[in-house]
Amino acid sequence: MKKFLAMLLALAMVFALAACGGSSAPAAEAPAAEEPAAEEPAADKLPLNVIISQYGNNTQAWWDGVFVPGFETAHPDIDLTVEIVSWNDLYTVVSNRITNENVPDILNIDTFADYVADDLLMPAEEYTSAELKAKIIPSFWNANELDGTVWALPILASVRSLFYNVDILEAAGVEVPTTWDEVKTACAAIQAYDPDITPWSLDVSSDEGQAAFGYYTWNNGGGFVDDNGDWALNSAANVEALNFIKEMVDAGYCFADPMNATRYPQQDAFNAGSLAMMIGPCNMISASSEVNYGVAPMPTNGGNSPVAFGVCDRLMAFKNDSAPDQAARTAAISAFFDYFYDQEVYSEYMVYEGFLPVTSDASAYLPEHADQFNKCEANGGTPGENDYFATWCGMLADCDFYPASRAEWIDVKQGVIDAEQQVLEGADAQAVLDELQSAIAG
Amino acid sequence: MKKQPVLKKAEPYLWLAPSVLLMLSMIVVPVITVFRLSVSDISRAGVIKGFAGLENFQAIFASSKFWHTLQNTLVWTVVVVGVSTLLGFIIAMVLNQKFTGRKIVRAIVVFPWATSLIIQSIVWKYIITADFGSLNVILRKLGIISQNINWTPNATAYFAWECWIGIFVTVPFVTFCVLSGLQSIDENYYEAAEIDGAGFWKKLGSITLPLLKPSLTVSTVLNIIYVFNSFPIIWTITKGDPADKTHTLATYLYKLAFTNGRMGQAAAVSVVGFVILCICAGIYMVLSLKAEKEGQ
Repeated sequence: MKKFLAMLLALAMVFALAACGGSSAPAAEAPAAEEPAAEEPAADKLPLNVIISQYGNNTQAWWDGVFVPGFETAHPDIDLTVEIVSWNDLYTVVSNRITNENVPDILNIDTFADYVADDLLMPAEEYTSAELKAKIIPSFWNANELDGTVWALPILASVRSLFYNVDILEAAGVEVPTTWDEVKTACAAIQAYDPDITPWSLDVSSDEGQAAFGYYTWNNGGGFVDDNGDWALNSAANVEALNFIKEMVDAGYCFADPMNATRYPQQDAFNAGSLAMMIGPCNMISASSEVNYGVAPMPTNGGNSPVAFGVCDRLMAFKNDSAPDQAARTAAISAFFDYFYDQEVYSEYMVYEGFLPVTSDASAYLPEHADQFNKCEANGGTPGENDYFATWCGMLADCDFYPASRAEWIDVKQGVIDAEQQVLEGADAQAVLDELQSAIAG
Repeated sequence: MKKQPVLKKAEPYLWLAPSVLLMLSMIVVPVITVFRLSVSDISRAGVIKGFAGLENFQAIFASSKFWHTLQNTLVWTVVVVGVSTLLGFIIAMVLNQKFTGRKIVRAIVVFPWATSLIIQSIVWKYIITADFGSLNVILRKLGIISQNINWTPNATAYFAWECWIGIFVTVPFVTFCVLSGLQSIDENYYEAAEIDGAGFWKKLGSITLPLLKPSLTVSTVLNIIYVFNSFPIIWTITKGDPADKTHTLATYLYKLAFTNGRMGQAAAVSVVGFVILCICAGIYMVLSLKAEKEGQ
């Protein structure tokens, strides 16, 4: 009898753990644990549910303490709920809510093509006022177009560029590199000067390996797509870029494990003065860093001009056929966007998080008035810097962005990371990129 | 007061009802859902489009990454369970001896098991990281090495470290299972064997191992199930990288679902894992029933 009970227990364990092991998939059907208990909106108020991605440790504080009270004062007829979700959980939470037919009214995320494919999104023209459309920088507005329709609005942007430690480069006796050959020369000189300093940064981890692919292929005349907009992942320039990445790692110029070392510890190393050069986002310098740093365009190869690299996230509105008053719901969504992109409100948020604005009025306003707003606590809580916005906003207009509006983007993103890692593991760059191109474009 | 006959008959079922309901809602329903999702066409955004037949299974079986992952899973399970059982057995034998400070040593042994797997994994990640890791720092300070050593130069090295961490956190469980078995063995058996002239190995083979069989069986079966499904160590250390070469089924299906947006295929991988575990449990049940019959 005891053995029979033991067997029953073992079988129950198999079921339990199989259920846990597969919990990722069934979770899509089960009510999501992350979902907050639905608050009953006031009887005469229109509920508006928004998911905002967490950009830092203080994101929640701004939305709860500044935006929501301000919005509800301006729009007492709308009951606004803002849920802040970390990037680690965002895709899981959104996927669960879609499967449970409990989509948010507005979502902040980086891609939208998959939602368009399932007919889940409202066209942006339906809720964007003429005034708002006029002030969104055209390149950002157009970047959200798919099949002739704009499906999302840009929320914020950042620019990637080459950061270098002025003191280390001077001590090593090298100039800021502008070409790949100069990068190698500078790295060798830094290594000779102090072997404890890592000369160059590289992140080809699954966290952000697609960014490294962009840095090196774009600045070698390649990239994700060709001039016609078709996928061109296995171009000669891209193969050369991947081989350059491997050369840098093999020479010992980067951290030993770029396939697992994400950008964040490398930023910490740069801020601590133990990394000499790093391609990183405009807000990567920490408030406590005492590093004497400079910023320069990304080094290029083959005589190509440097390409500035921009990253942009999006806000999108979901359809909700069960809403009792569609016109009122659309009006509430419009009100949310109009309030968010208001010059003062939006500028305050950009300074708070340290990101760059995507509207023309805030782009013109912040280089002169950023010091009227405070950064978040994690960024020092000090007044914004006008120079910061003057420098970076100017670069934003000429940036290249990920082709994230394409339906294949998720596969491409994972594919290029996989290709980089395979090459670093010893695979032939041409072969892995040929295979990827074939899988994506047929 | 005498109980009503109906109520008396129903009483055991009433007591069992909460557990049965809990198992139905938390175990059976999710398992059925996984099976349903595995034969569903699910969009990348998470919308169930309809019935897909065996397409998800065909897709995963056609992927070389799945077969590599399955191979990893088997290696991971056999190595972690096998080595931790051997080490746990040896440590339990030592801890069963009487020596000064035994209680403290027993408490230390249980630490790795009592600490969260995520915390253990993060700690180990910081130990072995080549550039910032404490292992290199300590070795350099001791003058044993002059330059940092890359402890994880490739996927195989990473996977070996992950297996070691798996062993490290599993050993305490085996140790205490075996120790409880050792403590239940009557000392008289050993005294009688010693009078008959039996040495250490004879006592081990003829008394200790046969009497420890139930403890070892339970710990091994539970470990196989637990280690096979283990997620935190591999996800924290490598997330299956580089190039998806260090995945086990649990991390692979998570990546398929939430990074690649292939929910149906992820469910199919989960079903494959479930079937493998059912086969293992089935073999265990058959062997146990056979042993029970022989013992009667």
